[in-house]
Amino acid sequence: MRVPYSWLMEYLETATPADELAEILTMGGLEVEEVEEWTSADGKARDTILITSVTSNRGDLLSMVGVARHTAALLRCNLKLPELRIEETDSPNVAGSDLTQGDTRITIDDLPGCPRYSALRLVGVQIRPSPDWMRHRLEAAGVRPLGNVIDATNYVLLELGQPLHAFDHRLLVRGHIIVRRAEDGEKLVTIDGNTRELSENDLVIADEKGAIALAGVMGGTETEMGERTTDVLLESAHFNPTMIRRTAQRHVMSTEASYRFERFVDPNLTLPALARAAQLIRQTAGGEVAGPAIDVRAEDFAREPITLRPARTNWVLGTKLQTPEQVELLKRLGFGVETDTAAAEGAARGLPDRDWLRPYPNELQALERMTVAVPTRRPDIEREIDLIEEIAIIYGYNNMPTTLPGAIASAGVRTREQKLESRVSEVMRGAGICENVSYSMMGGCDLDFLCLVPEAPEREALCLRDPAAENQELMRTTLLPGLLVAAQHNVRRRVDTVALFEIGRVFLGRGEGVLPEERQKLAAICMGSSRVSTWNLPNEYQEMDFYWLKGVIEQLCGRLNVTGLTFERADRSSLHPGRSATVIVDGEQIGHLGEISREVQRAYDLPSPAVLLEIDLDTLIAKADLLAQYAPQPRFPAVNRDLALVVDQDEAHSGTHLIEAAERSGGELLESVSIFDVYADPERLGAGRKSVAMRLVFRDPDRTLTDEEVDEAMRGIIQHMERKLRAEARTW
Amino acid sequence: MEERLKDLSMRARAALEGARSLDELEEARARYLGRSGLLREIQQGIRDVAQELRPRIGQLINTTKADLERILEERRGALEELKIHERGDEQLIDVTLPGRAQYSAGRHPLLATLDDMLEIFLGLGYTIASGPEVENYHYGFEALNYPADHPAMDEQATFYIAEDVLLRSQTSTVQIRVMEAQEPPVRVVVPGRCFRRDTMDATHSHTFHQLEGLCVDEGVTFADLKGTLLAFGRGMFGEDTQVRFRPDFFPFTEPSAEFAVTCFNCHGDGCRICKGSGWIELGGAGMVDPNVLAGVGYDTERYTGFAFGVGIERFAMNRYGIPDMRLLYSGDMRLLRQF
Repeated sequence: MRVPYSWLMEYLETATPADELAEILTMGGLEVEEVEEWTSADGKARDTILITSVTSNRGDLLSMVGVARHTAALLRCNLKLPELRIEETDSPNVAGSDLTQGDTRITIDDLPGCPRYSALRLVGVQIRPSPDWMRHRLEAAGVRPLGNVIDATNYVLLELGQPLHAFDHRLLVRGHIIVRRAEDGEKLVTIDGNTRELSENDLVIADEKGAIALAGVMGGTETEMGERTTDVLLESAHFNPTMIRRTAQRHVMSTEASYRFERFVDPNLTLPALARAAQLIRQTAGGEVAGPAIDVRAEDFAREPITLRPARTNWVLGTKLQTPEQVELLKRLGFGVETDTAAAEGAARGLPDRDWLRPYPNELQALERMTVAVPTRRPDIEREIDLIEEIAIIYGYNNMPTTLPGAIASAGVRTREQKLESRVSEVMRGAGICENVSYSMMGGCDLDFLCLVPEAPEREALCLRDPAAENQELMRTTLLPGLLVAAQHNVRRRVDTVALFEIGRVFLGRGEGVLPEERQKLAAICMGSSRVSTWNLPNEYQEMDFYWLKGVIEQLCGRLNVTGLTFERADRSSLHPGRSATVIVDGEQIGHLGEISREVQRAYDLPSPAVLLEIDLDTLIAKADLLAQYAPQPRFPAVNRDLALVVDQDEAHSGTHLIEAAERSGGELLESVSIFDVYADPERLGAGRKSVAMRLVFRDPDRTLTDEEVDEAMRGIIQHMERKLRAEARTW
Repeated sequence: MEERLKDLSMRARAALEGARSLDELEEARARYLGRSGLLREIQQGIRDVAQELRPRIGQLINTTKADLERILEERRGALEELKIHERGDEQLIDVTLPGRAQYSAGRHPLLATLDDMLEIFLGLGYTIASGPEVENYHYGFEALNYPADHPAMDEQATFYIAEDVLLRSQTSTVQIRVMEAQEPPVRVVVPGRCFRRDTMDATHSHTFHQLEGLCVDEGVTFADLKGTLLAFGRGMFGEDTQVRFRPDFFPFTEPSAEFAVTCFNCHGDGCRICKGSGWIELGGAGMVDPNVLAGVGYDTERYTGFAFGVGIERFAMNRYGIPDMRLLYSGDMRLLRQF
């Protein structure tokens, strides 16, 4: 809200400069976002404007007087309020829901929506522009001057926070105001010129012909004030905040009035606001008040006082505020405070110092109490804790002590899962793959780009009702789109080497009404060189290909102490059918690895086939071990033998199968088998055959092996290979 | 004989020390120390020396030979070293060519910032908790004491999946889940993603990260909250950091505060980063509202607690001088390789 400094100072006995005031208010619960130097359009007036940002619980700060009250409490200075009474509002005509007075009748049909409707009639007014002082004030506060009567209502809205509405009394059918729900389909042309189609959820002000205003939001054109209006009916009502909020939202309108009603306007402000408006209108438009004010209301809007234990204040805040200090702080806010002096003896002050800071809860109840009468303008204060907050604000947060909570018998440590997750990131980064953070949303198009089959579980994605951006309407079920989009981002900027991984959650639907399963995944995309610089290096030493990324997974499992890692040829529509694998740990599939298919490459417009990885990190971490177990270093030397096999080039003779065959037939002395060369040469080896060279390491933990023993083991392996795998073997 | 030896020694020494290349050195070696070199010649001449002088001469020859061989080796070493520095030798490499190591990647700036924050709270005895990012309305608003249909909810701009299912707009939702699962004392921090329907620009993102803290026990006070956040500010920005609190409003805390630290860049003098104020706002905090504690079944007379929430993105941007929030989510290799 725009608070002109000179307007505010009218109510305060202080000379605090604007900048200083802004700082005090900000630190005292009313944030001043900006201090603006302002000059009126006609150049005649200047002011300093404090632009405040009011939290949604403090509707009472949406007026000059509200700000002045708060300022007076913070500065401990006197408040000078304008006269808010006239004879006609001092003795109004009161009724419960329906009242007739002369040619005017007020009926409230919907008391929950409108618990109070006050009105005042003025006759013989003369519409003309407002005097300069009023026009300047309105302009400074950001409201356009429209003519003396309307200006007076807006002035009261700004000054007191009570929205008013002025009807031309002669245009009201039979002078009868009815507050009711709109009928479904009922139409109203509001003064902004829009035709509003209403529903029975909207509260309207109507006359006997139909709706004439959207209650608490905006008036209608039919009964709008005109230049020839002389007979005015002023409305000053209290509306239900939720109803006003829903109506304003439904019609996408936010007005000075609706903004305030949504945040609660003091129900006891209706008559003072009418008095103030009548004074201003008489001053600027002439005319006379016609009869007493009309006050139709469902109740008398009194409030029960709230009990506060001063010790509780200190228990919550960690302060040592004495009871009289607390009383004084509350009184500065205009609250009525009564202390129970009999019980007060020997209470707070009598306790030893340390206990006073931290009394035990049971002792609290034995301590003093005070009863606090809170004005109806502060609906946010209902409980003891609300009063404690007020004390804290007026006392000043920065004046309170600064301590640390007592120690508890628990160490701040990461859990096993958290430690392992950090390790995963470490290993991936150690391999030179950058950590990526991407959005949790993806587009339906991404699922198509990934060529996922219709029955793929990734297609069961949660859909946002109101997405923030294009292609971000689904919660991700896979991390791959985020990585592919990032790869595309880089390629478009001519960065062709991409190595990214992400650890993040995916969301798997579990049916309506049930929260989705959130699983942690690890995914990576790699293309280009793994090295910082590659001059003179052959391609295979630098390229991040299938085997490179596979190596990273093997390293990762090693560092996580995961055993039983195997790979099988995979059939995934998004991956190259010949160059992709399922990642398996202990027989359980945990994810996939492979080159992207040509279709995916094309969809994301990538220059080379990237390799992708996605595994279920929760599963992997469940299988991991934080600590490695020591295995003693061998005491006796190993004997290495190399063996070349020419075998068929098919799945039955895959690397894993050959190694397994060697392990099965190698006997106890065979320690390890590794493949170090693979090639196909149709001319020398025959079509459909390949040569695989493997290194076999033999060792006995307790002695040095003899050549004869190793020879025998080798014979067993070769025999097995020749008989079972149709291999031609050669040793050297 | 002695004279000749002395003369030879001098000349050989000069030739060896004066050799300017390995070739010249070899030539000198052959001439003086070789199989048919001059020293050998003298050695053979010992037969002509009187019997009684022979041991002395023999010893002299041996020491001369040893001296010259030492000189030869010294010179050879020096010349070899010299040669490596010359152009064209196969052992010579261009040490200025770039290294060919594998890349090694650093932590993402956002997560590195988060790690540093977590480190501080681990040190203060907090454990790290997490909770669902897709939440029920109950945990998103109701349990956090949001009044139904209140303007406070507009500030959240929440994403909905269904009437009752939403994306959490703050990590505070996890407060409830943590308290439902355990009795006090509670001391947790919750890092995590949050979502708001913000228009994407340099300082707004619909996906962002927060760190939530929660401490509930007997006798936990607002003063303790101040001290905890002061410790946090000092841990992040150094021992001379100050923390400032001003009133704010959150439905789930009361009293509520906005907290700021002295600008790490200008130390409070005012600069571009703190927009001249000397302060950088870090987040919201407050004493957990009794309604929230009662909602999870805690005795609100016995237990009090504080909670706070810090946004990570702007913090990280300030720290590393990253001008646009979207860069953090771009996966741009040129950005990520800098960290």
